[in-house]
Amino acid sequence: MFLKKHTSAVMFFLGVSLAPLLVPGHADAIPAFSRQHKTECSTCHTIYPELNEFGDAFLKNGYVWPHKKGEAAKGAEPVGNEWAAISGLPQQIPISLTASADLAYDEDAADGNKVDLSARSITLQAGGSFRDLVGFFATYNLYSQGMQRASTLSTPAANTNVPPGNTPDLDELFIVWRQAAGTPINVKVGRFEPKLSLWKKSNRILPVPSYASTTYRVGFSPFSSDATEDGVELNALLGNRLFVAAGVVDRNGQDREDGYGHISYKIGGTDLKGQEPEVDLEHDSIWDFLSVTLGGFGYWGQNGELDGDGISRNRNNFRRIGAEADILYKRLHLKGSGSFGRDSNPDFSLFAASVDSRAYTLEGEYYLGAPVSLVPLFRYEYLNAGYGSVKRLTPGLAYAPLQNLRLSLEYTHSIAPEGTGNIAFASIAFSL
Amino acid sequence: MKKLLVTMLLVAATATSAHAGLKVIGRGDAMRLDPSSFPPAMKANYEIVRVKCVKCHTLERTIVAIQTGVAPISGQPFDRNATKAYGIKMLRKPDSNMNKAEVKASVDLMNYLLSESEK
Repeated sequence: MFLKKHTSAVMFFLGVSLAPLLVPGHADAIPAFSRQHKTECSTCHTIYPELNEFGDAFLKNGYVWPHKKGEAAKGAEPVGNEWAAISGLPQQIPISLTASADLAYDEDAADGNKVDLSARSITLQAGGSFRDLVGFFATYNLYSQGMQRASTLSTPAANTNVPPGNTPDLDELFIVWRQAAGTPINVKVGRFEPKLSLWKKSNRILPVPSYASTTYRVGFSPFSSDATEDGVELNALLGNRLFVAAGVVDRNGQDREDGYGHISYKIGGTDLKGQEPEVDLEHDSIWDFLSVTLGGFGYWGQNGELDGDGISRNRNNFRRIGAEADILYKRLHLKGSGSFGRDSNPDFSLFAASVDSRAYTLEGEYYLGAPVSLVPLFRYEYLNAGYGSVKRLTPGLAYAPLQNLRLSLEYTHSIAPEGTGNIAFASIAFSL
Repeated sequence: MKKLLVTMLLVAATATSAHAGLKVIGRGDAMRLDPSSFPPAMKANYEIVRVKCVKCHTLERTIVAIQTGVAPISGQPFDRNATKAYGIKMLRKPDSNMNKAEVKASVDLMNYLLSESEK
């Protein structure tokens, strides 16, 4: 009875008490959305934080339930919620927490410490919308320790325009002006992951490690395609299945802004507005269950080594071109991603030497749904960032005994010019 | 006394006219339909819904949608177009464990219940 009456308090207490034992992994999968819309996590996720088709439509719709825009203005808010409709406030505080803990086994650990249970973190997330006109999303790394610690490792977050003396704990903070001025264009402003890949780095069953094809770096350049950055992005859903995005990124030490673009098209399946396909319930067709999404992106930018005055020296001009495919058929989900790049001076050297790079990722998942929420998967990655080719083979398992609790186990076999390596990685994460 | 009688009659009349054909048992998570008056085919369909749908959500969600004509989560109209769309959504959901025949039976039942609730 006590538990039933005080579930929220007990969950919060457990979350806080167990936090030191756990590690993080921020995500778009946040219970704030679940509370706001009074629906379960599986509305938008397979095993969180991976998005399902409807979740992807929700994301592209600026964190507003698809088809809902305009209804509030027509007075569709239920009686008793008028205050929220008038003020534009979310009816509940739109905040969530995600905590995670990792156990890593590295047979080649440099310090001889093969078993490491010291990686853990807590991430604060906020997301929602103001009267369906403006969507917002934020992730803040409250605490992290161990291998994922952003302030001690050169993570993609370090690539953002962080004011001097501050650690890059604010990973995302942006608003989306939905369908600005009555056009189909959404205007996104703030710090966010530029829309390049089909999948946000946080929307995968195994967020760590991220895909080689989108997270790789070259030389001393901190740039990676999936780093969060400060910028302005315009994106739009054209028709029901074509999504386009273009934006500019501002970074310290530039003499011009970075620019990027994305285009993707979905064939079959739930469309990008969240509407189900037409299916004949009397006859079978392969398109009853098949959906194929194809995407492409390009990024052109510049960075350099900042001197004591904050001036960029020995600049590096770089570009990335990528193509991706996402195929879903019943319980089988295949993802393919390839990226090519060129950096003019990735070592920020006085004597510039350009480097060509390329990376591929292929991943296959199979959903063993109810009654067992288990997903076996296999990932293959290839990377050549100018220093020889590296291949990674990663079989993994993810299990969600509850929709807000994920256990994962993965094993990575790496083949690099300097030899092979084996790392096993177990993680537990929950959101509340 | 007269006021009380009038009030009771008004309440009874309102309740009867709203969902004349739907007999609901229980409340909240335990809410169920009484299928005793259903045609045999719909009784069989109800068994599918009662067993399959509750693996992911309560029957209350479905019953409220039928009674009010509004899907409780999305706030969208819950009509015959919606029943088919939800059926397709469940068919394509990887862990729903529902085949086409079961989905069709569920959609037929929801359409039948919509008709009954309109009476």
